[in-house]
Amino acid sequence: MANLNIQHKKENTFDAIVIGSGMSGGWAAKELTEKGLKTLVLERGKSVEHIKDYPTTNLNPWEFEHRGNINEDIRKENPVISRCYAFREDAQHFFVKDTEHPYIQDKPFDWIRGYQTGGKSLLWARQVQRWSDFDFEGPARDGFAVDWPIRYKDLAPWYSHVEKFVGVSGNLDGLPNLPDGEFLPAMELTAVEKYFKTHVGENYPGRDIVIGRCAHITGNEEYYAKQGRAICQHRALCQRGCPFGGYFSSNSSTLPWAMNTGNLTLQNNAVVHSIIYDEQKGRATGVLVIDALTLETTEYYADIIFLNASALNSNLVLLNSKSSRFPDGLGNDNGLLGKFVAFHNYRAGISGEYEGLAEYTTEGKRPNGGYIPRFRNVEKQETGFLRGYAAGFSGSRSIITDHSDIGENLENSLLTPKFGTWRVGSHMMGETIPKEESRVSLDPNQKDAWGMPQLKVSIDYDQNDEAMITDYLEQMTEMFESAGFKNIRTRDDKRAPGLDIHEMGGARMGHDPKTSILNKWNQVHACPNVYVTDGACMTSTSTQNPSLTYMAMAARSVDHAIRESKS
Amino acid sequence: MDRRLALKQLAWITGGVILIPSCDFTQESVLEAYEKLQVTASQRETLNQVTNTIFPGVKLKKGEEVDLPDFVLIMANDCLPESEQEQFLKGLKSFDAFSKKEFGKTFEKMDSSESAEAYRGIMAMEAEENSDLASTKNFLAITKRFALQGYLTSEYYLTEIMPYKMIPGGFKGSKLVSELERINPNG
Repeated sequence: MANLNIQHKKENTFDAIVIGSGMSGGWAAKELTEKGLKTLVLERGKSVEHIKDYPTTNLNPWEFEHRGNINEDIRKENPVISRCYAFREDAQHFFVKDTEHPYIQDKPFDWIRGYQTGGKSLLWARQVQRWSDFDFEGPARDGFAVDWPIRYKDLAPWYSHVEKFVGVSGNLDGLPNLPDGEFLPAMELTAVEKYFKTHVGENYPGRDIVIGRCAHITGNEEYYAKQGRAICQHRALCQRGCPFGGYFSSNSSTLPWAMNTGNLTLQNNAVVHSIIYDEQKGRATGVLVIDALTLETTEYYADIIFLNASALNSNLVLLNSKSSRFPDGLGNDNGLLGKFVAFHNYRAGISGEYEGLAEYTTEGKRPNGGYIPRFRNVEKQETGFLRGYAAGFSGSRSIITDHSDIGENLENSLLTPKFGTWRVGSHMMGETIPKEESRVSLDPNQKDAWGMPQLKVSIDYDQNDEAMITDYLEQMTEMFESAGFKNIRTRDDKRAPGLDIHEMGGARMGHDPKTSILNKWNQVHACPNVYVTDGACMTSTSTQNPSLTYMAMAARSVDHAIRESKS
Repeated sequence: MDRRLALKQLAWITGGVILIPSCDFTQESVLEAYEKLQVTASQRETLNQVTNTIFPGVKLKKGEEVDLPDFVLIMANDCLPESEQEQFLKGLKSFDAFSKKEFGKTFEKMDSSESAEAYRGIMAMEAEENSDLASTKNFLAITKRFALQGYLTSEYYLTEIMPYKMIPGGFKGSKLVSELERINPNG
């Protein structure tokens, strides 16, 4: 019996365990396995292999039974996921339905999740803007949250490291508030976007429109061929999974790369119950896993544990990792675990039309858009609200077909579409302030299908967010009017937090164990062989799409873990 | 996809219908593929007349040639909220009677310009809330919406009329408009 146990323990022991196979977990796995560490990746969802498990990727529009629409029964039962822009017939199988993993909304919160190999990296919007020190220095300068324990110089080499491997298309814009990176050829701005860029540049100092930096391969083909990936074909069907590997996902890139080292074990249907803490050793020794299908539990062991379960699920795992040393969750000596969660404010948008440039149109598709870096309160505080917003900005030539009539008239108008005006639009991406009352916690009673406590989410907008919405709409309206755009419409869709899919924090980084959960290397202060390198680690949110920063932190932390283990 | 295929195959084996008794002691077959709608073959034919009125096949293929009635029924069965589904069914099931009352005959007995005028006439009428006319108009509006969606995403339209390119291969942000080139919204 003892021999059997020893054998079992040996079989279940790895050099490192990574919890989660999404954006940041995939990066941790790649870096660990490349360095020769036998690594177990635990993924709670089903297996999705690159290309093989993209069932809709090559379907034509007419091959979808509902031509893209979601069945009413599914919509009614799953109101939260049905609000997500990408939850359509072609990608619905990659999203978690509300009924599958319930949670408690103390306040309305749309929790968008992807439980499968690759997680949400299959589904993301692929925007990868770097942070600058204007972002990292925000909390210290403006007196909220706690000071970030890192600065741009700490992350810059890791941004480069990640960008080279994932492939980032972008332009060298030379902006201090949006540092340049390792870019493949940029995608083009459209004629009206270029016009707006020039107009804004001439009339609004400090404001700019750039082409988004996006995780698509647009050059250096030979290098990416080694990953089995090819140049982006501009299908703009990314959410189905790309048969070319044109955009970056864990499935197309980091996980197969890690697999090729021979050091990766990927286990699906593995719901992590908790991280096991050994009091004698004063460190984590492994992970307790529930089989999602059989509900059997198994322990796995490793000296290094990376937690990359997605921002809120990583909080859930830490909160549920209770021991006599940590009765309120792993590393939660200060009671701040699960608190200071924040997100990006996506509520407001604006649209308009431009009658000029009638001699131009566009051709093909662009899985990308224009980007307006934050221009409010960058160098110093100058408005009545803290921080600011970035914004998307895109414009394309409309083609008008009159659908109003029926019969022969309708047939005639379908045969004779006409060019209309250029349609322009923008949406805000506002920084929100992490607050103690914005928190997630474990419900003491309600459990999910795997016997895990349900997560209780209590996150809301505040006056700063409202003031920022007003300012965004005012500034954009003024810039649109000044550029001669007509028929300007503004909107505040009052969406709940979460639908931005940029929830962050709960296990924030900081200098001081009294006021933060993680140190500057993303290690749990009180349990340093556990690294948290997904959205849970974020001290503040800034305005940039966060995935690139998570990936850079994951790579940086692996480097640290390996240096630690050698010393 | 699979469910529809299975139902189609089943329908083929069973002759497309199952028999249910109805209250007036006549027996009308119900099309099994649309389990929520409980529509009969003759109601499907009524719908076919409407979609052929929307797409009469003068310059382009006729509605029935791109399977519009079935597409409209699939969408009405699967993708409509209950209240709209009720309106659709109420309007559909009384449409022949409504048409006879208003125009003296059903759409089936009209030529395409007559039925088009009748369609436009109905849509121009002022309807009181919850009236028969209101559900007839709602039925026609829903049918038009799905017929248009089905037509514009049909294989025929996207390969022969306004070809869709799954793999554009690139993107140009400023392309000079050419007078000679046909404008293709899917190009």
